Formats: sequence, C-alpha cells, structure tokens
Amino acid sequence: MASILKVDALQGVTAAGSILVTGEGNSTTTNLQEGLAKIRVSYNQSSGGAQGIYGSFNITSYADAGTGLALITFTNNFANTGYSPVGSGHMKEASNVTVDMFVYFAQGGGTYTTSAFNVTTYRNGVGAVDNEVGIIGHGDLA
Amino acid sequence: MASILKVDALQGVTAAGDITITSEGGAATQSLQQGLAKAFISFDGTGTVSIDTSFNISTLTDNAAADYSIAYTNNVSTSNHPVTGSNIGSSETNYLGYICSDGVAQATTGVTVHFVYHNGSSNNDQDPVHLVTNGGLA
Repeated sequence: MASILKVDALQGVTAAGSILVTGEGNSTTTNLQEGLAKIRVSYNQSSGGAQGIYGSFNITSYADAGTGLALITFTNNFANTGYSPVGSGHMKEASNVTVDMFVYFAQGGGTYTTSAFNVTTYRNGVGAVDNEVGIIGHGDLA
Repeated sequence: MASILKVDALQGVTAAGDITITSEGGAATQSLQQGLAKAFISFDGTGTVSIDTSFNISTLTDNAAADYSIAYTNNVSTSNHPVTGSNIGSSETNYLGYICSDGVAQATTGVTVHFVYHNGSSNNDQDPVHLVTNGGLA
C-alpha cells in the first residue's frame, strides 16, 4: 500500500529553502525548490476576446504597455535578474495559424528586473502585435 | 493550523523517484518529480561566455556565433527531452528565433542551441540567454 503524507507546507532543515528529491531513475537527486517554476502567466492582449490574465501564479499584475507590449509584475520577487523566463505567442485569428510568432523579453532595453519584465510579441513580417501569450519562469526566489 | 514538514530530502516508498502530489484543484494527482524542471541556465553569450546563474549545469561551450552547448551535471533519461529558451533585452529587429539542437542531435548529457534571424541571415551572440530543461532524470 502506498504511504500518504498529509502536510500543508514543506521546509528544509539544514536550509529552509533547499529540499532534495530523488529523481525518476531512482539514483540521482534533484532540488525541489530549484525545479519549481516561480512564475506562470497566460494573458490576452488582443481584441479577439476579453483582455487580461487568463491564469497566473505569483503574478501581481499585467499591464498593457502598448501594441504587443506588456509589463508583468511579480508578487514574490526573484533573488536576482538571472532568472529564466520562456514564452510563446498564440494567434487568436484562425486565418493566421501558419504565421511565425515570437516572444521577446525586455526587447530593445525594456524593463527586466527582479520584480517585473516587459514582454513583446512579434509577428514575422508585421512587427509588434497584440496577442495571447503564455510564459513560465524559473530561478531563485528572493 | 497549517502543518509544516521540515525535511532535507524526499524519496518515494514504492519507487524512490516517484512521489505523487494532489493537484491545486484537489481532484487530480501528478508526479512531483515529473513536474520539476531539471536544469536551467542564464548566461552571457557574448565574447568569452560566462554563466550568470544555473542549476544542474556542468559546462557551457561557445561553438560559434549565437551557437552554444550545455552539459548537465546529472543527465536526463532520454535524448529527446524538452528544452525551451529565450534571450533578454535584444535590440534586434529581425525577429530573432531560437532553435534547439540545430544540426546536432540532443543527448542525455546536454544539448546544443542556436539563435538565428528568422530570414536566415547571419546572427549575433546574445546576452543574456536563458534555457530551461524538463524531463526525467537518469
């Protein structure tokens, strides 16, 4: 019978923010806190539906900062700017399903701090466009 | 009152590398291990490349312009594992894109990544570059 541990919170003993977890291969270990995504947000900036956040985690606000440009602000900040956000753009219009879409962070020197960043969505051959965007971010929390 | 478990390491009983946790909605379950990113890196890819921050990364290699390889400290279990990437603060206006394993097969020990202009023209080193690896550990 599988054992079930019921608990509301986990904390390391040696260091509160570091818990080792045995990997899938049952031999090596990984770090629980390092492996967790620290931010997640899915939002719509296009006119093809209600604008704003669809869903998020550790995001305090989304602001429309211009065509294809958004400012995402975190609830709990990262420890440094060496965190790793990755994202993708999703076309709302069915007729444009084959176009190429890129998500840039702090494009051209925009905001990129421990508490917030700018996101720009580009459509190839067009430029910055409002769109649906999904982003996750890994790194160390403050 | 919320309970707090203080522990330095977690291990499954039935299988050491498989711990099930209940979802945010309280209805489904998922594997704790499968949900964890297994590596990430933030690095300066210009000049002499250097790592800003990383997790489970042993080496970073500069292969050519905007072409880099990373090696893991603890390998992943399958060659074809997801690696996502981005670059920050680029002033490029030529729609810079990201390619994983451009002409170089993925391996359990690491991957090669390449940043290219969408129109296929020459590309430049980027700073910073971010990569995140998911998948099972070996």
